[in-house]
Amino acid sequence: MLDTMKSASAQSESTAGQSKQWPGQASTYYGLPLIKGAEWAWQIVLYFFLGGLAGGAYFMAVLAHLLRLDHARELIRAGRYLSFVCILASPIFLIWDLGRPERFFRMLRILKLRSVMSIGSWSISVFGLFCGLSTAHQMANDGFLQGLPRLARLLRALPIKLIEVPGAMFGLLVASYTGVLLAATAVPIWARAKHILGPLFLTSGLSTALASLSCLLACGRRKQPMQEPLERAEMVTLTTELGLISALVPILGSLGKPLFNGRTGWLLKGGVIGGGLLCPLLTRLTYKLTQRSTPRAVTVGTSLLVLLGGLVLRYVWIEAGRTSANDPEATHVYNTLE
Amino acid sequence: MNGFFTDTTLCIGCKACEVACKQWNQLPADGFNWTGHSYDNTVALSSTTWRHVTFVEHSRPADNTGKDVNWLMLSDVCKHCTHAGCMEACPTGAIIRNEFGDVYVQPDICNGCGYCVPSCPFGVIARNEESGLAAKCTLCYDRQKDGIEPACAKACPTDSILFGNLDELRERAKQRVGTLHERGETSAYLYGVDEETSVGDLNAFFLLTDRPSVYNLPERPKLPQENVLPGFIASLLAASFLTLTTIFSFKR
Repeated sequence: MLDTMKSASAQSESTAGQSKQWPGQASTYYGLPLIKGAEWAWQIVLYFFLGGLAGGAYFMAVLAHLLRLDHARELIRAGRYLSFVCILASPIFLIWDLGRPERFFRMLRILKLRSVMSIGSWSISVFGLFCGLSTAHQMANDGFLQGLPRLARLLRALPIKLIEVPGAMFGLLVASYTGVLLAATAVPIWARAKHILGPLFLTSGLSTALASLSCLLACGRRKQPMQEPLERAEMVTLTTELGLISALVPILGSLGKPLFNGRTGWLLKGGVIGGGLLCPLLTRLTYKLTQRSTPRAVTVGTSLLVLLGGLVLRYVWIEAGRTSANDPEATHVYNTLE
Repeated sequence: MNGFFTDTTLCIGCKACEVACKQWNQLPADGFNWTGHSYDNTVALSSTTWRHVTFVEHSRPADNTGKDVNWLMLSDVCKHCTHAGCMEACPTGAIIRNEFGDVYVQPDICNGCGYCVPSCPFGVIARNEESGLAAKCTLCYDRQKDGIEPACAKACPTDSILFGNLDELRERAKQRVGTLHERGETSAYLYGVDEETSVGDLNAFFLLTDRPSVYNLPERPKLPQENVLPGFIASLLAASFLTLTTIFSFKR
């Protein structure tokens, strides 16, 4: 073996650029981590969850409005107000987690398309603006601005459909970018799932939004004709979410252990898949197939399950990322893939 | 462009580089930890440790040199990558490439979002708990501006750490590898030169005598930002699909 190594070393190529040539399994350095994981706490889980909800709720309101659906007035109102409350709350948690919260506006110094955090900061800001305008318009229409008649007139006169279309697109961006944020790092489990994370967080944003809106409408005084379309949309979204999570098993392979094993695995299987997806889906299917109308308590209950599932989904991904980052073998496995 | 050439075959594990770096940059001590990992009680690079000497003891193959054990020592540092994951991740523009070609964190701009931390394929940069800011090796930007070499290179007694113009350093390093090969040390090679990875060449490169993972270095580092476009395209496809399905659910 020394002879072949000697003859190889006679060529200048072997003095450098060795990145592709290491056979066999990589070693580790006393099992110590090679990369560093994100030090994000519970505030980031909430920020992900609320951002998805905001984008999803606004998107639903816009669709209902643009499709000119009958009896959709309550849905549009609920969607606009809910998305506005969530998009106000979400960045509060993001800013809370910063090392220097008072410098949060520095995120808006530049726009860097290679930084998902930069894309996200701008998306939240722009979406917040569109969402705010739509909400102000809604408030004017609902008569909440009686004390400011000129402002109310101005807001009522806004070309709301022109605002809603880009607003909805930014809303979907806000709901999905948090997944791409995780995927564009060196953390093996996050990076490996780069095709799934964005779509998964988007789908979860939509399903939690649909569940919230369905819950809000069910709690109203009158029976809502939009309840059924909402439930249909929710079933499709929940099924899509299940499909995306299932795709993770072959995609992640051995890198998926932090997500599927141990305490995190139980939270994923029980909290997300079982409680947050399968249970609501089967409940809705049962009522649909037996052609009975869903009682209010069941609607509220399944909606809460979906919401909790969405929250736990964000949490388990952050936890799994922590474990994956601390595993040097995972880093080496990920680097040798594709 | 200036950088480091760290020749591990000359390293004696004295840790003068660690001490000089801490002293020059006024970095605090990290506590007193007996780790039992050979002489490595520093463990990793962090926001307050910008040079870290690794120690690996392992048995040599039986090659009639009479030596049973290889004791590898490497002074680890920020790699100041050609394509730096931390710099591309930074949303405030705090992390820049300075006039010397090195990756520098501007502490007056950083808002401590911490996104650079998981974006480094080498696990270098970290966020400081007390200041809330991200910090790493500056390649002694302040010393370079005054025309003097970084503290670690100055303190290194064997010139294992060499600082200078990158082209000159690479030339010198390749000659050194050639010399080592002639002497029979055919395991010597350069890590971070003529690389075809997405990270590119490293402005702080190394001469190693074993595979990179032994020194806790990635063997094929990937630039995390390569996942940005695929991630967003997948999200766009999902958004289109879900828009259609929602429209159909609402209308039917």
